[in-house]
Amino acid sequence: MSAFAKLTRRAVLGGGLAAATALGLGGSALAADAVKLGVSIPAATHGFTGGIVWWANEAKKELEKAHPNLKITVKTASGAPEQANQLQDLVTVTKIDSLVIFPFESAALTQPVAQAKKKGVYVTVVDRGLTDPSAQDAYIAGDNTAFGRIPAEHIAKTFNGKANVVALRGMPTTLDNERWDAFTAVMKQHPDIKILDAKYANWNRDDAFKVTQDFLTRFKDIDVVWAADDDMAFGVLKAIEQAKRTDIKEVFGGAGSKTMVKTILDGSNPLIRADVSYSPKFIYDAIKMTAEARLKGQALPATHIIPSALITKENAKEFYFPDSPY
Amino acid sequence: MPSAPTPVTDTPGGAAAGGTGARRPVRRFDPLLYGPFIGLLLLLAVGTALNPDFATWDNWMNVLTRTAFIGIIAIGMCFVIISGGIDLSVGSMAALIAGATILMMNALSGLLLSSVAVVALGMLFAVALGGGFGLAHGYLITRGQIEPFIVTLGTLGIFRAVLTWLADGGAITLDMTLSDVYGPVYYGSLLGIPIPVWIFALAALAGGLLLNRTAFGRYVQAIGSNEQVARFAAVDVDRVKLLTYGLLGVCVGVATVLYVPRLGSASPTTGLLWELEAIAAVIVGGTSFKGGAGRIAGTVVGAILLSVISNILNLTSVISVYLNAAVQGCVIIAVAFLQRRRP
Amino acid sequence: MSLHVAFDGITKEFGAVRVLHGVSFDLQPGRVHGLLGENGAGKSTLMKILAGYHAPTTGTLSIGGEPVRLAGSRAAEERGIVLIHQELNLADDLTVTQNMFLGHELRRGWLLDERAMRERAAHALAQVGFDGDPDGKVGDLIVAEKQLVEIAKAQLRNARLLIMDEPTASLTPSECERLFGLIDRLRRDGVTVVYISHKLDEVERITDEVIVMRDGRFVARAPTAETSRQRMATLMVGRELTDMFPDRQPPQPSARPLLSVRDVTVPGWAENVSFDLQPGEILGFAGLVGAGRTELFEGLLGLRPRSGGGIEIDGRTVRLRNPREAMRNGLTYLSEDRKGKGLHVGMRLRDNLTLMTLPRHARPLLSSRSETDALDRAVADFGIRGDPQGVAASLSGGNQQKLAIAKFLQPDPRVFVLDEPTRGVDVGAKRDIYFLIARLAAQGRGVIVISSELIELIGLCHRVIVMRGRRAVATVPAERLSEEELIAHAIGTHTRH
Repeated sequence: MSAFAKLTRRAVLGGGLAAATALGLGGSALAADAVKLGVSIPAATHGFTGGIVWWANEAKKELEKAHPNLKITVKTASGAPEQANQLQDLVTVTKIDSLVIFPFESAALTQPVAQAKKKGVYVTVVDRGLTDPSAQDAYIAGDNTAFGRIPAEHIAKTFNGKANVVALRGMPTTLDNERWDAFTAVMKQHPDIKILDAKYANWNRDDAFKVTQDFLTRFKDIDVVWAADDDMAFGVLKAIEQAKRTDIKEVFGGAGSKTMVKTILDGSNPLIRADVSYSPKFIYDAIKMTAEARLKGQALPATHIIPSALITKENAKEFYFPDSPY
Repeated sequence: MPSAPTPVTDTPGGAAAGGTGARRPVRRFDPLLYGPFIGLLLLLAVGTALNPDFATWDNWMNVLTRTAFIGIIAIGMCFVIISGGIDLSVGSMAALIAGATILMMNALSGLLLSSVAVVALGMLFAVALGGGFGLAHGYLITRGQIEPFIVTLGTLGIFRAVLTWLADGGAITLDMTLSDVYGPVYYGSLLGIPIPVWIFALAALAGGLLLNRTAFGRYVQAIGSNEQVARFAAVDVDRVKLLTYGLLGVCVGVATVLYVPRLGSASPTTGLLWELEAIAAVIVGGTSFKGGAGRIAGTVVGAILLSVISNILNLTSVISVYLNAAVQGCVIIAVAFLQRRRP
Repeated sequence: MSLHVAFDGITKEFGAVRVLHGVSFDLQPGRVHGLLGENGAGKSTLMKILAGYHAPTTGTLSIGGEPVRLAGSRAAEERGIVLIHQELNLADDLTVTQNMFLGHELRRGWLLDERAMRERAAHALAQVGFDGDPDGKVGDLIVAEKQLVEIAKAQLRNARLLIMDEPTASLTPSECERLFGLIDRLRRDGVTVVYISHKLDEVERITDEVIVMRDGRFVARAPTAETSRQRMATLMVGRELTDMFPDRQPPQPSARPLLSVRDVTVPGWAENVSFDLQPGEILGFAGLVGAGRTELFEGLLGLRPRSGGGIEIDGRTVRLRNPREAMRNGLTYLSEDRKGKGLHVGMRLRDNLTLMTLPRHARPLLSSRSETDALDRAVADFGIRGDPQGVAASLSGGNQQKLAIAKFLQPDPRVFVLDEPTRGVDVGAKRDIYFLIARLAAQGRGVIVISSELIELIGLCHRVIVMRGRRAVATVPAERLSEEELIAHAIGTHTRH
């Protein structure tokens, strides 16, 4: 209903555009003509967010070149409060009319985003949904359920439903919980797959290295390590290499980083056979979709999930972006 | 003539009588001095009871090897804290040194240099860079007369931001050929003991000698104990302070030399919170946060103790993973309690 | 109003160390008692027991005839007993009023009643003759004013027994006068006072009765009027003190002065000060607190900015930018602030002693043996009594001072400056220090003594320079040295002959 109302309003605005310009009217008519898009994302603190920043700037470059009447402002923040402040600046100083935001925390940013929307800004939320969905116009996200489900199914299939698995987890967040729940849900259907233990390694190579070392000390027979992140997989591989363990047959990362996809493509490490895509490229998609829809005066579907896919040697080429830092 | 100045040394063990509340420090045996050691022994017992794999040579070598970075940094930190200073930037500094060193080595390997030479140059560069950063801290603190807390809080941000910028937010990775040459510095062993453990031991030994057996070490303690008194006693306070920060920087450099071959990469998460771990190791080890008095042996034990805690937690599933940090916190407080100073 | 206090067989042990051995005596209400004894005699410990800081190991403390056990200083305060510490116990960053009510704040509901506190503080301060601002920070006050604040604070607590530990240690003569007047008034109001001091002239002057302790025991008590200073000193030390001061040896004749200071200015503290020091000479510096004596020498050492003027040592012009350069040029300075600038009280005797000359013991690692030898020599040479393995804080004041002197003599300076060398030092140690100073001079060194104790300047020095208001206003030769002469120059009432 409300989407329809918006659509019609925009259609009216779009339709009246020529007349309005001719009459020399400023204000909202000109705003629709030149879209000012604000992008608010976390600062690059690890591989994944590094990718987010890179893809956001990539989108800015390409889209501004393609559409001279589009102005994109990218802001990075290193915490939720900072992001809320930047949001205010974007609205009051930069005077944006559209926003693509990758919120640090759902709860903390719901109110600030709602404020922006109230001032007439079109809001696209990426990756983490707000606690109150009415504060957003559109939601674009990677598929966290698939991020956990796909590796589980892959492992179950590869090992014929019988394997000893140890797992790493990221940080205690809803995001991590969704992935973990999806992973264990699949494994429940395979009684012969044993999850020996799972520990947090903070999406960090060094911590993953240490946790894996201790897993290797503790468990003498491991078939698979679900590292749950390509950065963590990197630390896992180093620890296995150091311990010279031969019982482990596969290490499964996550997110489809450049180096991991390259490894699959080249077949250069027998332990790395597959990965699941969860590319930071979705920020690029979100910016592009939002900008183009706004230029045309259209709305986006309320929810758009960018599917995660299993990456194997066969399809790895499609997921390889040599210029991206991630 | 004075009555009894002839140095009659106490018979060992005899001084422990009475113990509590004595006005003079009890010298020969003070159980309070051994807080961290007792804490570590208790942890070892707990670890062995929970998982027999804990008490294996391989596990201990794993723990000691991964302690080496923090341990070496903590030894340098010990000097800074004893002198009455602090350095919050060591984690970021390690990350930046690691990143810069990898970039430099990658660049050099393109030139007609042997991999061994490149790695050797890289190691020298890392240590020199650390020393340089440390001296810069010392210079700002002594000449600039800025509080060490503020100076190093500033560089904590600067170092990590520069690394993130160099890495484009991602990771800086060492070339494979160099990685193979450099690898043994972390993964290699001598007489069955990993190289980082040797370096850690050497650093501890050198640190102990420097603190307790050289004029520099004595000056550091004197400055931390009372800077004014040291100044009046003709100690070159500024120079000694400058050198403590330089020394810590060198320690960070050495730690980085060992760190780089482990993963062959540096990323914005490298060395995250190392500063807190290093400071905790020093304080848990019985060095006064106010400065003046401190011990290298305690610091080493403190660093080992901290990694043993997480090792034990990883080796068991007794406690919910959500409570890991709480367990660490409890152990730290308990050990601090064991070695608290008399009121 | 007054209260009667009796000690009966009080002993106190710290660990294995017994510092009081069955002390018994009583304090008469409304009188001023001089409590005498060398450092380490147990005076302070006994008074801390009275003020609730320590509990006796055995024995009984009775107040008003009734045996009591004080749970803490607060319990003692409730009974009207207040101890004013030697190192005044005030928080520098709080205001006078805030300090006076610290821990006893007046409240109105949840909030502090600032106005009532200020009024009551102002009243108590007026009574003790404090004319500063009750809202000023304590850190900005001079020592004498802080003392008045402490006494006014005690008054607020309705003190009926006031213990003062070395109250005049850093007061000028006129400030002392004001304090004595105040003590007189307290006595008239019926307050009992215990007055601990090493300055026998003060004890003679303001106390009704002296009580002497030695080695943790009660030795004697007697009405002050019937006890000569000589007698007091003898009782404290336990042996006859034939003479406090050594015979004056004339300085060695020399072609040029050992130290020559010309027109040195330390901005804000000393202006155009010039003087010479001959080998073998003991040169005194007198003046009121704040006259710039200490600051002049801190300036000469490069610890304060110095402008203009020149310094020559042994005829060579020298640049002294810090104590290190001063030491290398043969000049060392022992500060008046023994715990703040002289010794690391938390460090061991040996580490204190060798701090200035560590390179001498490094080969290249420090030799514990060489350092211990140095300590053994110093202990013998300077008569330092105490545990040679302990920390400096474990020594009595006199022995700390001997250690400090030994430390600053380690570099073998040609010119040695001692600032208040006998502050907080007992009679026996004082005499040792005077003889030591004479010995240093006899060795051909130049010694400068800055002191507020006129008696020691008169007894010891060859010449005394008097400073007033940042300037050296007079140089008084030995034959004209008298208290009257020095005071007249110091306060500016001297009429030229």
